[in-house]
Amino acid sequence: MNYALKTRQVCLFIIAFLPLSKLFVLPSVLAKIANEDLWLCTVLSLLLDFITLSAVLYACKKADTDFFGLLRANFGKAGEIIVLVLFLIYFTFKAINPLTEQNEYVKLTLYTLMPTLLYFLPFFIVCFYLCTKKLRILGRAADIMWLATIIGVIILFAMSIANADFSAILPISARGTTAVLKGTYKSLNWFGDSAYLLFFIGNFKYKKRDYIKIICSFLIHAIIVTSFVIIFYSIFTSIAHRQRFALTEISKYTVVINNMGRFDYVGIMLILLSNMFSLSLPLYFSCKILNRIFNFKRAFIAPIIVVSIQVIIMVFLNENIIGFISFIQDYGGIYFLIVGNILPVFSALLKPKEKIYANQAN
Amino acid sequence: MKLTRTIDENVTYLKKKLASEDITFLDLTVGTKNAVLIFVNDLISKNEVGELVLRPTTLFSGEPSEDELFNAFLSPEKFKRYEHNEIITDVLLGNAVLLTDGFDFAISFGLKYFEKRAIAEPPTSTVLKGPREGFVESLPVNISLIRRKLKTPDLRFENLSVGKFSNTPVTLCYIDGIADKELVKILRKKLSAIDIDAVLDASYISKFLGEHKTSIFKQVGNTEKPDILAGKILEGRVAILVDGSPIALTVPYLLIEDFQSPSDYYNSSYSATVARAIRFISVIISLFLPAIFVAAELFHLQLIPLSFLLTIVNSIKGIPLSPSYEMFLTLLIFEILNEASVRMPRYVGMVVSIVGGLVLGETAVTAGIISAPTLMIVALSGICLYTVPELEQTFSVLRLLFLIIAGSGGGYGLLVSIAMFIIYLISFENYSTPLCAPFSPLIKEDLKDTIYKGFIEEHEFRPKSIKSKNKKRMNIKKDREIN
Repeated sequence: MNYALKTRQVCLFIIAFLPLSKLFVLPSVLAKIANEDLWLCTVLSLLLDFITLSAVLYACKKADTDFFGLLRANFGKAGEIIVLVLFLIYFTFKAINPLTEQNEYVKLTLYTLMPTLLYFLPFFIVCFYLCTKKLRILGRAADIMWLATIIGVIILFAMSIANADFSAILPISARGTTAVLKGTYKSLNWFGDSAYLLFFIGNFKYKKRDYIKIICSFLIHAIIVTSFVIIFYSIFTSIAHRQRFALTEISKYTVVINNMGRFDYVGIMLILLSNMFSLSLPLYFSCKILNRIFNFKRAFIAPIIVVSIQVIIMVFLNENIIGFISFIQDYGGIYFLIVGNILPVFSALLKPKEKIYANQAN
Repeated sequence: MKLTRTIDENVTYLKKKLASEDITFLDLTVGTKNAVLIFVNDLISKNEVGELVLRPTTLFSGEPSEDELFNAFLSPEKFKRYEHNEIITDVLLGNAVLLTDGFDFAISFGLKYFEKRAIAEPPTSTVLKGPREGFVESLPVNISLIRRKLKTPDLRFENLSVGKFSNTPVTLCYIDGIADKELVKILRKKLSAIDIDAVLDASYISKFLGEHKTSIFKQVGNTEKPDILAGKILEGRVAILVDGSPIALTVPYLLIEDFQSPSDYYNSSYSATVARAIRFISVIISLFLPAIFVAAELFHLQLIPLSFLLTIVNSIKGIPLSPSYEMFLTLLIFEILNEASVRMPRYVGMVVSIVGGLVLGETAVTAGIISAPTLMIVALSGICLYTVPELEQTFSVLRLLFLIIAGSGGGYGLLVSIAMFIIYLISFENYSTPLCAPFSPLIKEDLKDTIYKGFIEEHEFRPKSIKSKNKKRMNIKKDREIN
């Protein structure tokens, strides 16, 4: 069997793309809700993702076909479409928040003199182009982009860690369980990335030690995100929630800036570059779902539909989108939890295609 | 059309087809039989024709048999031809063909001789250390240069002819057992399918071999040096040699090939690694520096250190053009100078360097038309690109494109275009070989001949990026084992 991906690419995919969307607005949102306990919210959300990922990996181990094939074999065509539609809605809404963050970031940080949506819209060309490509290309992108992510993160950490006062995150759980749980609930939108890995089922050869390799890469991703929020809060403490874009703010006090300009922008630009792939992921998998449901003859039809919907949302809700996102965060949390975390856990219960057909034959 | 046993019929037909005045039909007698020797005047060695063909014909007294006739000639390269078309092709290729009355075949003698350029170091890949010989325009000479490097019976040369009017000899070259047989089959098929008037250079063939006709990137590797070609063939590639061209093509092609210089393999691994890293950084500087500078100047001033910003502000004071126009114009002037310096006679090259580089640049800055930092960035970018000359054409176009995007869309626009560029590059495949291998897809084992040039012991296996059944290329023996 010719697999689209290698285990290495799955690991690098997790390291390269999963941490990025959590480095923009999430730290300040969590700082507002849970203050010094923001990292506990992150850890809890990551723990949820870890459980989901473990279940998905178990499904990978058992699977003899891809995710679509498993759904078809277990639930029939109608059942498959229902599940896929649930994921389609999930990915459509999951994409809105990071895209809006990116748009805001581009407008307010990079184009302070001319903040307009126009500067962000070309991103959708990249998104469209990537969506027309096969899974193999996503694996190759991970092969190359993990370096950009890691270098970017290292630059930012190196330039900010000296200003951090880590005692700021103590005492642990100072704000109580409610604040932590509330923070976790509100951050569900940023997590739930293990659902992406459902689409890797059957697309890479699952070998004996792959579980450890993939979990290790998930841990690297978890360490990046957790360290980032800890350093962020340790620098800004009580004013952390006012620093909307943690990515830009985290290194702004470094002394190098005076001598070398915003050298940290090298790291930020590398992260922004990697983030273009990361932002495209929900749309990419939406395209795969649409293609499966409608079986489009041409590769560009699903990307046109999916990207157009996001462009329309961005353009029409241009100034009001923050309200829309608050609505998603307040009321969509349960949906994100169910489809992003709980539903993928059940993938572990899916029976292999061969087994089902063998039972039917008997 | 087959030859008849009557010489007059054959000669009449051939005279009609080969009516040009540079083609000689020399009447002879072979014993009691009439014969005609056909050749192109300036393509054969007249001495050899006299010695190896004409002299033996005088030795016959009676009527020769078929075998006697064929065996009488001492020429080491002789073939029987039964078709008119075969004869026409042979004559035009520079063979001498003997038609004899009463026989339904002709004898074709390979006695080509024409003025050739001497073997010299190719100007496109000069080295301080290592072999200096380069290919010439003669296919047999090029074949001999490769054969001298690889004295193995597994080295295969397959001859084909391409071009309706040029009938250019094209040779496929590979090592049996190392090269992928499927690839050889595909190339053979592709070359045979080329229907073109004439092949005047190897680059004509390379256009047909690329699988993406509109791509800006090279899809076929090339070299002018037999040592490099031998190295590439030994890695599992297939070479295509074209008569009349000093450039040998190689397939499949990887982007990293152009970052590898022949001298890397003759110098120490340390210096080769540093040299490659410099090439890699130079290409990035060349490709993106003008764009980044313009984006920073127009949209992201915070990226520039304060002291440098003050220098820039002072230097652009009074410049009538916007930073993007200024950079674009300077790059355009650079490209014009570049184009002119390639085409103009060498003796005026110095004048252009002075006028273009010193007078034009210096005066433009003094006159306040172009700022000094812009000029410096263009100069740096221009020089940097020449560290990888093979990519110069492609990347100079891309550099202009990135500049336009950065000038209109700023840093984020530039990032968008870089992301597009990356997706394009990583999805690009030719003959099932990804252009960006071994970086994407990542092939760990092959990384030791990329930016990092590994020690000789690390090259135990052939690159995995190129399909080959024979994977091992050397046996590493430890000193202990040798002693």
